[in-house]
Amino acid sequence: MRLPIASGVATGAVAIALYPLFQGGAWFWSSLGAILVVTGIGVLAGHYRLPGWLVPPAQVLAVWVYLTSVFAGDEAWARAVPTKESVLALAELLATGFADIQRFAAPVPDNDGIVLLTCGGVGLIAITVDLLAARLRRAALTGLPLLALFTVPAAVVAEPISWPTFIVGALGYLGVLVADGRERVSHWGRAVLVRRTSSFTVTRPSSDAGTLRLSGRRIGFTAIVLAVLLPLLLPPLEPNPLFSFGVGNGAGGGNSISIPNPIVNLRGQLSLPENSTVLTYTVSDGAARYLRMYSLDVFDGEQWTMSEPRGRPEDRTSDSPMPPPPGQGADLPVTPATLDITVSEQVRRLSFLPLPYPASKVTVEGDWRPDRDTLMVFSTRNTAGGLTYQVVTAEPEPTAERLKAADPAAPAIRERYLGLPESLPEEIRELATRVTKRDSSQYEQAIQLQEFFTEKGGFTYSLATQGHDGPALTDFLIRNRTGYCEQFAASMAVLARVLGIPSRVAIGYTGGGSLSDQWQVRTHDSHAWPELYFEGTGWLRFEPTPTGGAGQGSATVPSYTRPEVASATPDEPITAPSADPGDSDPTGGTAAGRRDRTLDLDSGGLPIALDEGMPPAARIGIGVVIALLVALIPAMIRWQLRARRDRHHTRQVKGPDGEDPAGATALGAIRRESAVRASWAELDDALCDYGMSRQASESPRALARRLTEQYGFEPEAAAALGRITSAVERMLYARAPGETGTLRADLRSVRRALAATVTRGRRIRAVLLPPSTLLRMRGLGGRVLDGFDRLENIQLRRPTGKGA
Amino acid sequence: MAVTHDVSPQLDDLVVTAHRIRQSIESVIEGKSDVILLTLTVLLAEGHLLIEDVPGVGKTMLAKALARSIDCPVRRVQFTPDLLPSDITGVSAYNQQTREFEFKPGPVFANIVVGDEINRASPKTQSALLECMEEQQVTVDGATYRLDSPFMVIATQNPIEMEGTYPLPEAQRDRFTARIAMGYPAPSAELEMLDVHGAASPLDKLEPVASTEEVQALIAAVRGVYVSQPIKKYAIDLVTATRQSPDLRLGASPRSTLQLVRAARAHAALAGRDYVIPDDLQELCVPVLAHRLLPSIEAQGQRRPPEQVIADLVRRVPVPEAQAR
Repeated sequence: MRLPIASGVATGAVAIALYPLFQGGAWFWSSLGAILVVTGIGVLAGHYRLPGWLVPPAQVLAVWVYLTSVFAGDEAWARAVPTKESVLALAELLATGFADIQRFAAPVPDNDGIVLLTCGGVGLIAITVDLLAARLRRAALTGLPLLALFTVPAAVVAEPISWPTFIVGALGYLGVLVADGRERVSHWGRAVLVRRTSSFTVTRPSSDAGTLRLSGRRIGFTAIVLAVLLPLLLPPLEPNPLFSFGVGNGAGGGNSISIPNPIVNLRGQLSLPENSTVLTYTVSDGAARYLRMYSLDVFDGEQWTMSEPRGRPEDRTSDSPMPPPPGQGADLPVTPATLDITVSEQVRRLSFLPLPYPASKVTVEGDWRPDRDTLMVFSTRNTAGGLTYQVVTAEPEPTAERLKAADPAAPAIRERYLGLPESLPEEIRELATRVTKRDSSQYEQAIQLQEFFTEKGGFTYSLATQGHDGPALTDFLIRNRTGYCEQFAASMAVLARVLGIPSRVAIGYTGGGSLSDQWQVRTHDSHAWPELYFEGTGWLRFEPTPTGGAGQGSATVPSYTRPEVASATPDEPITAPSADPGDSDPTGGTAAGRRDRTLDLDSGGLPIALDEGMPPAARIGIGVVIALLVALIPAMIRWQLRARRDRHHTRQVKGPDGEDPAGATALGAIRRESAVRASWAELDDALCDYGMSRQASESPRALARRLTEQYGFEPEAAAALGRITSAVERMLYARAPGETGTLRADLRSVRRALAATVTRGRRIRAVLLPPSTLLRMRGLGGRVLDGFDRLENIQLRRPTGKGA
Repeated sequence: MAVTHDVSPQLDDLVVTAHRIRQSIESVIEGKSDVILLTLTVLLAEGHLLIEDVPGVGKTMLAKALARSIDCPVRRVQFTPDLLPSDITGVSAYNQQTREFEFKPGPVFANIVVGDEINRASPKTQSALLECMEEQQVTVDGATYRLDSPFMVIATQNPIEMEGTYPLPEAQRDRFTARIAMGYPAPSAELEMLDVHGAASPLDKLEPVASTEEVQALIAAVRGVYVSQPIKKYAIDLVTATRQSPDLRLGASPRSTLQLVRAARAHAALAGRDYVIPDDLQELCVPVLAHRLLPSIEAQGQRRPPEQVIADLVRRVPVPEAQAR
């Protein structure tokens, strides 16, 4: 009887978690009806002792009848009995339901089809739960169907399941377990007390089952509280990993990150609920680097796509260094750096290596080949998931002068990287010329373009835009000016081509966030950026996407593209003359320059700055100190308690001053009593600390006798102990306690005598982790749990009486 | 001797007098100081004593020695199966001279009554002692006669002799404040006994060391011993524990609580203390409570006598107010 009801309650409790999936509440009431039908059949079956195997088919039948009467009542006979027409109507409704679910994103409207689907699903879950709990008596297994119901909202909706919902669901499951346990224990029978006389009036406070139930509840509540609180206490884990499942990037890749199409996938990764780690890397100079995977060179009017990369066998990374970066002059100053990159094992089907540009040497296992023009490194046999590889990069450091004086690009480059479709709208071409100054160099025009996107154009960063194609490009540039990195990068590349600057779009990751001594790149760090070509320097990264909190969080602006740096550089030494076309080709500014803007200006960079500012050793040290402080709390409480008790003695010795005699004696008596009480409590705690606790039934006198005999006290210590216990005895039991004298010295000598009998380890423990205080803390914990029990008894008595 | 309200000097007298009585008894019974102390405790608590042990360990000797040490009327009744109630309480006999029925007081009209082998008498006779012990009065033919104070019944009984005995009913056992067992004397004490008892009975040489009035004053002083509230509660806790113990079929009665506290007062006074401490109760629990209890079938099966059950309970019940934590 109990179990079917508990199963129904549990299914209902977990079904509440579906709430965020729907716009209305009708689904819930209909599902509740289905649950009630299932539970009702279960209860009836228990009442009439039907065979267990008969129940699930009966429940399926009943749910069917219920669904028919609710959703196809008009077609059914007497609004309930299914007919051929009603079956057809239900099937039709189901089909629309499926179609609607495909069509709508959560929260879906609760139209008939969807509600029918939900109802049926919840009903099936209810039947399964009832079958497992009440028929097969495997209550613990009901967690599986309930969990299945729980994962639906977790997988569909971006937000994690709220903790109250989780608690309600967990309580429901707990209810099933409790009901099962009670059913089981009730079969044990009841303890029979042998009592022959009627004089016995005091009944036992609780039966065995009651105690079991109490401890069961305590364990359950503790488990739920831990499940909710523990993730919050672990700093590296956000609370959502517990309540969200899989990456859920639409393709349903389970626990893997699939990167099949660079451009389509970008937004998906940026807006993923779970921010999975894609890769981690360390850099020899400690600064973050953008990591590029794809280079898109063809713009067809709608999309940027990639012409097929060509990897020659002789270029294999295992056999030779990387080809030289195109367009980079030999005289260009470069910053060498070495990166050790580890790609997460969760990354699947990635056949392009994320690399800094330009890479001069890649050490990696497998058959990986670079494309000579773009320096993309790819493989047709191996995938990057789980790989660890080393890259040597030579980062160009061009000066503004050099870039300003750059020659026009080589014809081959111009041919490949300046192509624009005829259909490009005129207004876009006009825009390109409008936002740049006609007489400035290509480099200055590029900077003006970047400024147009980041500052002057009034663009807004938002992930809530559709993909990028022709009309969308116009939309983005002319009308709403709202988009994310993909639009910014693609648009800037298009505008650069309009202005005659060779350009392409790079897809990859920003430098990511700092994690102790390494950098961590997550799916949210997916990024697209334009690369512009300057003869003699090569391909340079630009950053039109807003950075920081209101933009792509981990994006950084290269220093050479920042006007204040670019124009302030003339006094910087120019290491080499710039008039050497064809051999200089930088990609990014100095490493420090890349990061400092985000760090200084954006709130999003603050935690990173903090991370960088504190070496790991210091952090470990601080952690150890905090842990020590926490561990010392009992000792401090004990010390403080002892000091407080000591004060009673001081007060007693000082005595009353300047008061009338009668009041003084009364006051003196009170002080004497408190002093004696304090000594007794202190003695008790000291004994507890040394592991020789007084038994509850031991009187003060008996205690003194035992200690003196057992530990062979010296006469003076024994006398001191005797004075304390006799004072305590008189204070507790005599009519007038009389004079006690100060017991402080006695207490001290007894404590010394006690300490002499125990080992050194025990003495140290008594100071650092005093058991008396730990016991007191445990008592406090017990009282808190008692409070919970009382609360529960107040609030849940009715449901438990009625249901489980 | 006037009873003063100042307790402590009175207690000094008490301790001195009690010591005299103890020494007097110990001159007859060697090496049984705890038994003698308990006997005195019962006397000062205005209770009655049941001495239970095998024959020949000095039960009667103890009773007689106590009686001799106090200068007061002592009667001794040898209980036999044919003893009648009137043999104890007394009879109304027709006086030819006065032509009236006259009450002839029985042996119960004394300060100390020694009932030897009490379990040999029929229940009817045993219960004749009931009224005397509890209410210190005798009712014969509708007339009630008061007994003198102090009044103490010291009964002895043989535990292992089965034939021709009538075990004391629970109600009667409940009226005894304490039951003690003499136990065999230590070898040294037995040796000394041989030396002393060889020539003549030492009992004959025993002179009274305290008067009736002195004992009455002692009893009054014991009544003045302070029992604090926690101690009262402790006594109730102990007695309640016997009622709740699964090892006991019958727990201790409220009368036993009263007698426990009374005995504890006497015990404290004999130790020269004018207040009762938990130790008094703990020491008296077994002799005061054990004979009133019936062990459960389980405890009998496990051979756990009530004495052991009580000792376990005493170890479990927490001492009042002494909890620091």
